[in-house]
Amino acid sequence: MEFLTESLVIGLTQYAPLILAAMGLALIYRLTGLINVAYSETITLGAYIGMWVNTTFGFGFYATLLPTGIVAGLFSVATYLAVFRPAKQRGAGILEMIIISFGLSIFLRHGLQFIFGYPVRFYNVPRPDIIQVFGVGVSTFRLLALASVVILALLLYWFVQRSRLGLQIRALASDESLAQVSGIRPLFVTVLIWFIAGAAGGLAGSFWGVGSNVAPLLGWRQFLFIFLVVMIGGAKNIGGVIIVGAVTGIALAAMTLQFGQVLYAQLGLIVAFVVFMKLRGRQTVGTGKV
Amino acid sequence: MNLDWLDAFLLQGLFQVVMVIGLALLLHLQMGLVRIANFGVVGFWGLGAYAFAVLFVGVDWPIGEPWPFLISMAFGAIVAGLAGLLVGWLIADLETEGVLVGTLGFATSVWILAVTEKGLTGGALGMGGLKFPFDIGKTKANELLWFGILFAVVGLIFFYVSRIHRSPYGRLLISVGDNEPLAGSLGKPAFRTKLWLFAVGSAGMGLLGAIHGVMAHLLIPQSIGINVTLAAMVGLVLGGSARVWGAIIGVILTVGLFEIVVQSYLPLPRSWYTQAIPVLREMVFGGTLVVVLIIKPFGILGDMRRDKLLRRMHGE
Repeated sequence: MEFLTESLVIGLTQYAPLILAAMGLALIYRLTGLINVAYSETITLGAYIGMWVNTTFGFGFYATLLPTGIVAGLFSVATYLAVFRPAKQRGAGILEMIIISFGLSIFLRHGLQFIFGYPVRFYNVPRPDIIQVFGVGVSTFRLLALASVVILALLLYWFVQRSRLGLQIRALASDESLAQVSGIRPLFVTVLIWFIAGAAGGLAGSFWGVGSNVAPLLGWRQFLFIFLVVMIGGAKNIGGVIIVGAVTGIALAAMTLQFGQVLYAQLGLIVAFVVFMKLRGRQTVGTGKV
Repeated sequence: MNLDWLDAFLLQGLFQVVMVIGLALLLHLQMGLVRIANFGVVGFWGLGAYAFAVLFVGVDWPIGEPWPFLISMAFGAIVAGLAGLLVGWLIADLETEGVLVGTLGFATSVWILAVTEKGLTGGALGMGGLKFPFDIGKTKANELLWFGILFAVVGLIFFYVSRIHRSPYGRLLISVGDNEPLAGSLGKPAFRTKLWLFAVGSAGMGLLGAIHGVMAHLLIPQSIGINVTLAAMVGLVLGGSARVWGAIIGVILTVGLFEIVVQSYLPLPRSWYTQAIPVLREMVFGGTLVVVLIIKPFGILGDMRRDKLLRRMHGE
């Protein structure tokens, strides 16, 4: 019982940003059918921007969230307009698009090293208190992060599934020509999606960054797990991604407790998810292929 | 033999270029012909290196040289090939996203095992004791001979890949990559073809990894990072992923530029080589992938000759 509550508390508090990041990646995947590897650098950039605003202007962590979200969102839109849109217009196939995003990811990752330097950087925030949740010590900071992630995730869910613009997004994702004749402006909605996805990724990055440290590989280290959550959660419904993200966090925490080593937990997760995908077989996820 | 003209940096650079050409040629079969985007090249390469080293260093061999060395080399290639069979079976019928997650996940798994299995691999400290199977005098002479052996192995890979292009098997590979359902409906075993090709390519990558391990003398987890996959991929894409010579030309222009021209011939401050140059190299490689695939997706050499001919015949 103790093991269960510990896994639950640690899994949800430590891996909360995973859910947020996965929702952003899933949005882009659903609209374009593209797994955007460079999304990991949007996450890293979010962490760097938050850290920079925090240490340069003395903003508290929560005050950094707004500029972080905006900058990461704009950055994501810029990658779309500068790279993915021209590539699509030139008729690049899905394989080429994935390699392009892979190349862009490497380019940006090392570009960030030039700008912010290679050594790890830290947020300048007060040391958080530790409180007991079901007998497990958790920093207040992680709890607040979990609460913020839950609120942001629910807002995003509501926006995509319930709002008018969300309806347009879903319409565009399922049938571009039909959406166009219904009066939806594809460029506006597409840019909006890339912005929201980027903002979600940037915020996830800043939660990760403030929880430990900010380094050029921050986003890339998480990318495989975000990607697995999106592939398993499915792109049809954002709710699936939230559930799979939460389960993944709890499973990672449980396996880390069991094996005493986070790397074994990650290995177990990779194997389990890839085997699951094999058993599920080829399926069309209802995405508009690039 | 006087080897004064050959400095250690130049030999290392040449070794890197030829090895990456070998990887890019094998990737050309997987990605260029059958269109399986293997993002886990470094996983097979690293697995081959570690499997070789674990058997060669870890076992108390009752027989004399060169058998332990040769058996361990073969073991490295076979283990990588079997991993290729397993990974190939998992991903061969998935879409490109599934292939990406499967191959990236495999490369990450190999890295995780290299770090965690300290008893076998030495963990983060690394694994030493890898030495040449011969001793013909000075270190430089030994390294040059080992480079010659690598050159011969990559030459054989090149010969094999060129033969495939001209054979019925090559046409089968191209048709499976081009349109898998069509190839299947014509009675071609598409899944088996992909699986077998993926396993053979992976075994070759494992062999190259083992050869690299001997030259480096030391295996550390940092050396099996994504940059190995990137080097092979950027060379192949720049040269032209559908052409045999694409791998060679592209790798010379990319890896050759950095590992030979920048490393040995540019008068740059020494401190740059440890920090700025590696970061710049990765940026240039990543940027090259993006620019080439947007502007000239078939690379410098362009599409397959066969396809050009077909288009001309149809008057396109």
